[in-house]
Amino acid sequence: MLEPLLGSKGSEKVLIFITARSEGYAREISQFFSMGTSTVQNQLDKLELGGILVSITKGRTRLYTFNPRYPFLKEVKLLLEKALSFYPEDEREKLIMDRRRPRRRGKPT
Amino acid sequence: MKSISKMTQAELAAYVQSHLRDKKINVTLSGGAAVSIYTVNKYVSADVDLVEDTYVDRSKIKAAMEEIGFHEKNRYFTHSDTQHIIEFPSGPLSVGGEPIKHVNEIKYTTGILRVISPTDCVKDRLAAYYFWDDQQSLAQAALVAMHNRINVSEIKRWSQAEGKIEGFKIFLKQYNVEKQNH
Repeated sequence: MLEPLLGSKGSEKVLIFITARSEGYAREISQFFSMGTSTVQNQLDKLELGGILVSITKGRTRLYTFNPRYPFLKEVKLLLEKALSFYPEDEREKLIMDRRRPRRRGKPT
Repeated sequence: MKSISKMTQAELAAYVQSHLRDKKINVTLSGGAAVSIYTVNKYVSADVDLVEDTYVDRSKIKAAMEEIGFHEKNRYFTHSDTQHIIEFPSGPLSVGGEPIKHVNEIKYTTGILRVISPTDCVKDRLAAYYFWDDQQSLAQAALVAMHNRINVSEIKRWSQAEGKIEGFKIFLKQYNVEKQNH
């Protein structure tokens, strides 16, 4: 959808994922879109280098979010939110309806 | 010319900037090194963030830096004669959602240093405090404000535009406490 503008499908998917969930890490993004982890990691690196994303480590995971100091953040987010609204209903639901509430370790899902 | 090993952080930044300027690469000092300069090293940072004024091809920066003995490692540039690390964050030069239009120029024996103004330096630190609740950045903002003439009403206007007026009030309180203590 935004591939011509962003230059790659990978960039679009990474940004759409973070738009929907506010944050994400390479493995979960690659699993969600069935992409290679290294492809996703390259996109995350590129977006971090460009100042659009920032990352922090939580345990052994490097978690990426939008950089609140990116000067075009508001405008970029508006564009991505609009693009997200054009995604197929089921994919959009899967992206947004991610379980965030706690669940005790070991409890069957 | 002083050797790199004897240069202060500001002198080094001025030296690198001047060299890059000769190659038509224009960058401005921001981040922790600007705080160091404006607080007379009361806050010390090893990082030297040189923000690109306009987009510059990375290979052009790399080639220019190698000419003066800096080598790239994990997107940072290091030199065997200094502990300072030089980074080139992507532009545009901005604080929050607003561009920085006026920068200061300070003359050193090693070159001319273009650096964000003390008011923008306070905003830059406050941005980190506002968005990440980083207390170190709040303390640095108050330190810069203490040691320099800053435009408080401009910082208030900017904070309001960023939707962070409550954070600004906390900064102002800390700034006033610091002023009373000195």
